[in-house]
Amino acid sequence: MIIKIDNVYKSYNKNLVIKGISIDIEKGERIVILGPSGCGKTTLLRMIAGFIHPDKGKLIIDGRIVADNGKCIIEPENRHVGMVFQDLALWPHMSSYKNLEFGLKAKNIPKMERRKRIDEIFEKVQMDRFKNVHPGELSGGQQQRIALARALVMRPTILLMDEPLSSLDTDLSLILRKEILKLQEEFAITLIYVTHDREEAFSLATRIVVMDSGMIQKTGTVKEISEYIYNASHK
Amino acid sequence: MAKRLTLYITIFLLIGIGLAPVISIFIKSLFVDGEFSLQNYGTLFQSDREWRLLFNSLTLAGATTLITLLLGVPLGMLFTKTDLPLKRLFAILFVIPLIIPSYILAIAWFYCLGRSGIVAIIFNVDFGIITSNLLFGFAGTLFVMVSALLPIVIILTMTYLRMVNPNLEEAARLHCSWTMVLRKITIPLIYPGIALAALIVFILTLGEFGVPSSLRFDVYSVESFTRFSAFYDFNTATTAAMPLGIITFIVLIVERLFLRKKTFIFRAAGSEKTMVMAPLGRTKPFFMAAVSILVFILVIVPLGVLLYKSVSFSAYAEAFIRSIGSIMRSLVYASVGATCLVVFGFFLGYLLERRALKFSFAADSIAIFLFALPGTVIGIGLISLWNTPGTNFIYASMGIIIFGYIAQYTALGERVLAATFSHLPHSMEEAGQIAGADWFRRLFKILIPLAKRGMAAAWLICFIFCLRDIGITMMVYPPAHDTLPVRIFTLMANSPDDLISALCVIMIIITLLPLFGLWLANKCAKKASTLG
Ligand SMILES: Nc1ncnc2c1ncn2[C@@H]1O[C@H](COP(=O)(O)OP(=O)(O)O)[C@@H](O)[C@H]1O
Ligand SMILES: [Mg+2]
Repeated sequence: MIIKIDNVYKSYNKNLVIKGISIDIEKGERIVILGPSGCGKTTLLRMIAGFIHPDKGKLIIDGRIVADNGKCIIEPENRHVGMVFQDLALWPHMSSYKNLEFGLKAKNIPKMERRKRIDEIFEKVQMDRFKNVHPGELSGGQQQRIALARALVMRPTILLMDEPLSSLDTDLSLILRKEILKLQEEFAITLIYVTHDREEAFSLATRIVVMDSGMIQKTGTVKEISEYIYNASHK
Repeated sequence: MAKRLTLYITIFLLIGIGLAPVISIFIKSLFVDGEFSLQNYGTLFQSDREWRLLFNSLTLAGATTLITLLLGVPLGMLFTKTDLPLKRLFAILFVIPLIIPSYILAIAWFYCLGRSGIVAIIFNVDFGIITSNLLFGFAGTLFVMVSALLPIVIILTMTYLRMVNPNLEEAARLHCSWTMVLRKITIPLIYPGIALAALIVFILTLGEFGVPSSLRFDVYSVESFTRFSAFYDFNTATTAAMPLGIITFIVLIVERLFLRKKTFIFRAAGSEKTMVMAPLGRTKPFFMAAVSILVFILVIVPLGVLLYKSVSFSAYAEAFIRSIGSIMRSLVYASVGATCLVVFGFFLGYLLERRALKFSFAADSIAIFLFALPGTVIGIGLISLWNTPGTNFIYASMGIIIFGYIAQYTALGERVLAATFSHLPHSMEEAGQIAGADWFRRLFKILIPLAKRGMAAAWLICFIFCLRDIGITMMVYPPAHDTLPVRIFTLMANSPDDLISALCVIMIIITLLPLFGLWLANKCAKKASTLG
């Protein structure tokens, strides 16, 4: 088990938004968290990343307790978790190359090694031509690729993705889904992917967690969940 | 049609009231005895004295900018990004020196560090001489200017920090500690705000009149006033005003060319998402102590000294008896000025935000240029333009003071209201238009009601700036039309300390009063909305 979320609660100023969630995630899984907007998906991801901490409950990543009952034990920068944000959060004052280099520099990786790893990733996401371009000058799909590359260049064992394709049109979203699948397998990453789009969930997941107002409704394989949703909507 | 007409009239008035005086002195300075000549400028910079004044002005402005940035940016970050205890209270305290006329701070420090000041009484006379020598001169002027303008840097840093998309910081937080995130991501993202703050502080210091003249540090902005009032030498006063005008102009062109492009498009963070906080951890006591000491020195001491010095009933009674006229005039002029400024600001802000006419940008540039120009320069311009037999009704009445306020402070109202309009979707007005409402109907039924809060804020800000003005008022006030700041300034040299202190305290109170009223109104409104 690479991640254990153990009966976690979180509230914002007395407003309880995560109400006792437990999920066990195995290495190499592709978990999709599916739920309507406002149900607490982003909050859950930010807890795993370590930006906020559960008020109650425990979070274990890679065998280490990272947060326990409101205490943060391991800071985000030491969790080895990658994240692609809903709005991508590319740094506008840095070129694509610098965006990728930032994390490597922070981890004191030597210059030659940095260049090698960045070049490799740029090729993988087919963005080698845009190394010196600032994010503001890229199209939506290109920005998406840079955001993905920025997360992958750190070689994380766990990758969190928060509705990364929600701002793209359908065709592009389909293409990028395929690429995400390919890269996930190639790098043997555990993927936690958040979306409100059923079809996206079905096409990406090995397991789906259906969330609603801060609680888990059901967990299961794509087949189980599609039946569950079908039955729920035809009652 | 009616809309365009309104906007044209506003621009025309701004040019007539604000720009014309400046252009008029420039043109007049080029003529001697009715003939074109550069003779006036020939005498400029002939003496070492003028070079020294200019050098003093520039060093003072540069040093003030540097120090306010070094203090203000970290303070702004502490108040917005960290879990420093009492940070709201600290932020409010730090802003007070900006609100009151800056030379009042100089007076307070004089009572504290002067030859017979509190320090000299507590320690000994020799020590008082040392502190007094420090106060009167570069060091003292720099210190007072820093405490007066530091709030600008703090406020702008805080504003820009609030606009930064928190996800950008979190994305970096995955790889490094908070300190590094702040250094490598957050600060670079707010560079435009820091540059803007630096620019404003530099230009305001350059044009400052009150502080250097009360602390007798010779700078250029005081020079034209002295020449004008001491020798009534119009020509040299005008030419003396020119270099500052030109420096201001150059600095602004640089801003327009470079700062504009460098603004990053900020994504408004969802209102729900609170800002990410960098916990101070074990360094908390250290920062707490540092901020407390700073607030004590920069704010508490000067205010405390004034209160202590004025603490007698007779001082306040005397202050009221001798200056009640000035107090009332101050309130009236500032109210009238603020009201005019809101009207100007409303239309110019609309123009700027909606790009309603081709030259919105030019109108904005004029307003900003006038805001940046030293008040003494505008003052000379106003006198030169209106001091004719036919226009005496303006020259010899409160009209000229109001004109001065409009000339100098239009940019404030304009920018506040432009920000307000940027939050009002165009569709609201367009919906009215489709429903067949003409411009005036839309103006009074849609735009004004929707912009009410912004207008109130603009009024308050303009009121405070008119109230604390000394540069322009000092130049242009007709006999028996002095305002409270001017009155204090003229009484200062030969009146007892307790009277001056009492007047300063009264000045501070009438400035803070409307702010307190606003705070109270806000509180009531909140209560009403939670009950309802
Ligand atoms: N920083 C915050 N402060 C207060 N409330 C928040 C904050 N972040 C999220 N919320 C609230 O928590 C709930 C869950 O939000 P979120 O996790 O963003 O949902 P989702 O990502 O599923 O759309 C929402 O009701 C939202 O309003
Ligand atoms: Mg979300």
